Amino acid sequence: MIKKGLAAALLALLGLAAIVGTSKFLMDREYKSPALTPPGQTAETPRDRGLADQRAEQEKADKEKPYQEAEYRPFPKVGSRVAVWVAAQLHLLFAAFVLAVPLFALIIEFIGYRTKDPRYDRLAHEFTKLLSVSFSLTATFGAMLTFGLIILYPKFTNYLVSVFSPTFLPYVGLFFFEAFFLYTYYYGWGKFSPRVHLLLGLGLNVVGTAIMLIANAWLTFMTSPSGISETGALISTWDAVRNFTWMPINIHRIIANVAFGGSVAAAYAAFKFLGAKTDEERAHYDWMGYIGNFVAICAFLPLPFAGYWLAKEIYAYSQTLGLTMMGGAFSWLFIIQAVLIGNLFLGANYYLWLGMGRIQGAQHFQKYIKYLLILVALCFMVWATPRSIISTVSEIRAMGGSSHPALGFLGVMSAKNTAVNILILTTYVSFLLYRRGGKTPTVKWAKTGNLAQLGIFLAAASIVLFLGVYGYFVEASVRIAFSIPQVLSVLFAMVSVTVIDVFLYKNAEQAGEPRWGQIAPISQYVLIFIAVTFTWLMGLMGYVRSGLRQHWHVYGVIRDTSVDAFTPTLGFATKVVSVTVLIFFLLISFVFWLASLGGKKDWEPRVKEGAKNNLPEPEDLGAAV
Amino acid sequence: MNVPVSLRIAALAIATTAFYTYVGQLVPQKEVQPPVEVVISKDMKPEEMAKVGREIMDGKGLCFTCHTVGKSGALRFPDLDGIGGRAASRVPGLSDVEYLAQSLYEPDKYIVPGFNPGMPVISKPPIGLTDDEILAVIAYLQTLGGTTTVTMQTKINGSAGGAEAPAAAPAAAASEGTAAEPAADAAGSATPAQEPGQ
Ligand code: HEC
Ligand code: HEM
Repeated sequence: MIKKGLAAALLALLGLAAIVGTSKFLMDREYKSPALTPPGQTAETPRDRGLADQRAEQEKADKEKPYQEAEYRPFPKVGSRVAVWVAAQLHLLFAAFVLAVPLFALIIEFIGYRTKDPRYDRLAHEFTKLLSVSFSLTATFGAMLTFGLIILYPKFTNYLVSVFSPTFLPYVGLFFFEAFFLYTYYYGWGKFSPRVHLLLGLGLNVVGTAIMLIANAWLTFMTSPSGISETGALISTWDAVRNFTWMPINIHRIIANVAFGGSVAAAYAAFKFLGAKTDEERAHYDWMGYIGNFVAICAFLPLPFAGYWLAKEIYAYSQTLGLTMMGGAFSWLFIIQAVLIGNLFLGANYYLWLGMGRIQGAQHFQKYIKYLLILVALCFMVWATPRSIISTVSEIRAMGGSSHPALGFLGVMSAKNTAVNILILTTYVSFLLYRRGGKTPTVKWAKTGNLAQLGIFLAAASIVLFLGVYGYFVEASVRIAFSIPQVLSVLFAMVSVTVIDVFLYKNAEQAGEPRWGQIAPISQYVLIFIAVTFTWLMGLMGYVRSGLRQHWHVYGVIRDTSVDAFTPTLGFATKVVSVTVLIFFLLISFVFWLASLGGKKDWEPRVKEGAKNNLPEPEDLGAAV
Repeated sequence: MNVPVSLRIAALAIATTAFYTYVGQLVPQKEVQPPVEVVISKDMKPEEMAKVGREIMDGKGLCFTCHTVGKSGALRFPDLDGIGGRAASRVPGLSDVEYLAQSLYEPDKYIVPGFNPGMPVISKPPIGLTDDEILAVIAYLQTLGGTTTVTMQTKINGSAGGAEAPAAAPAAAASEGTAAEPAADAAGSATPAQEPGQ
């Protein structure tokens, strides 16, 4: 082995020597005038003179070269836009993960602290294990993005700096505190009193959120600038920070981050479950996956509402922008979004359904979930139906014959709102059934309670459906207002039914503990599917947010005059998103692998022949991957 | 059946992304180019102006993001059919050209009955048409139910026929004759929307 290496190195050296020797020999063969030159004085051939002239010329040109500010610089192969796009998206994905995990780790830790159940504490610790490497990757991609912007979009970056320079120092300062809290929170696990540790976690979350608020100011400013003059001169940085879309995006993002973070953490659990060797491990990771997914779905349910609020604010800022989003070039993007969201709902409900296998006495619920799944699929179809199909049926009459895309969208908003509200209710019912699995209420009013819950559900569903259908017979402006009572009735139903349920199942008889780990392995692939889908959704929506500006760097103020000023096709955009998502999963599996190294045996030197029993088991090696 | 778990997970991730990419290819594929500048010369005839005006309305003007021509029913934005005829009688004291100019430079000054405000100031970014381009647009609007009377020499506001920089184009002074406010003044103070005088 070593000998071979030495031989190769020697060969390489020899080859190098040969090349150098040959070229020196050839250069020495250049024509030199014969012995006429007196000794001590080198001969000057015409070629030498020519070369000298050339050098002088070049030197002169170099000296006189004027300095030109570059507006854009090209990026090889894929172009500047895609380079910055991928770096930004990867940065965002890791940042979302790093911001989200502490949020629910802290909550889980707190539950453990209150219930004195050490399992929760261990779980929270396990979640935070994923953080430190992800944190470094976030910073790496952040640096890549910053350099990318400075190098490829120097003029525009300079402009952003002129508006936001006062925010940079706080940002860097916060980053320092983020590192401080993150590492003390992680490495200090179990080393402080629980309260001090919880406080560290709180600090981590507060600082993380502050960082996100600042970064969101930069990017929302680009969509809905404020605090500047018509030509872009800075009037007030603070006004530029709190621009129109800043708060809605902050809210939408925090919720989306938690949903995304929960799903990725669940994917980690699934990955560990599938590689688990013992029932004990399987039980633990099944539970972890369940909690991660629970976090994800809880955050997922209010997202559409936050999304609609964001869309409303974009309209309020600029109708033109709003119409580009919902009626113009991007309207088909929301159809793709509907496909993704439908898949998320389907996956989540399917997972719950499979999860009933864990619970004794829950089997009779399992048959209901089948119908719920069908309902989910139906709603999904309504939502993903392009407006053209609906507009042929009742839409044209209701709209007075308009086939304009913008009006078309608003027209079918009725159907879509209805579908998404029913989807949310259905998923909620799945959760409820899952929760009840194997339990029998002991309270006297059990029957009344059940009926009341059923009544609330039916009422909410009827309100949603009635307004959805009625929406076709009224004017657009009235119809848009219908979405509010729809949402409110769904929210009311979820809250009131949960409250009743908590009391109803207090001291309920339990047929048996959930048998964690006893779930079909396919469920774990569902978790991974959900995580990939969430990630893809993040990527797609990141694209809407940026693409929406079309040929503007800062909407209406700084024009994009680069070669990438055009808006690419959705097909192209989805390809970029896919590549980004795959890179993300490649890197996050590395994070998972690192996180699972902690549980491995330490390395031991191999012992010579005859002591075979000291070799690590082959399975151990396999499980590392 | 002995595929390692890691491979299966990778296959699932790739298949899922591939599926979404495929969905992305199914929807209509349109590449949106930044608006092209239409060449405008000072000696265009009315018909040429109207033709150019229509092009601008299709492209850079973004007018048809909102407006329709020849539709009726529950519309959210006024239909522009017949606007050339209606324009003269919209606001007492304003000729058709003056009214059209006002609806482009100061859309909030007069709100078409039955509609909500929401028309952007056309001379300012993000749309930012130049004064010459706006003249062409008016020429086309006049053809909808009337005839073009506007020419490239018509003064529709203080700096008509001159200002190139859209950002600095005055937003005020399209109405009530031609109050010639200096461009610099008008640019700084975003003209507050006033109720129509009458
Ligand atoms: C974001 C949507 C939007 C865009 C883009 C838009 N408009 Fe409008 N437009 C409106 C609204 C809303 C009204 C009615 C309210 C008002 O009168 O200001 C209106 C009114 C008008 C009127 C008055 C109509 C009448 O019956 O008196 C004219 C003329 C007009 N627009 C022309 C244009 C032209 C030309 C363009 C493109 C350069 C354009 N609009 C772009 C929304 C828009
Ligand atoms: C249905 C109505 C919705 C609308 C109109 C909507 C709209 C938007 C818009 C315009 C953005 C860009 C803002 C930004 O990136 O910062 C965005 C971001 C985002 N949306 Fe939604 N959304 C909706 C629902 C949802 C739902 C149901 C999800 C579910 C997971 C979701 C997930 C996301 C995510 C993850 C981002 C952040 C992307 C990023 O990191 O850049 N949205 N949404």
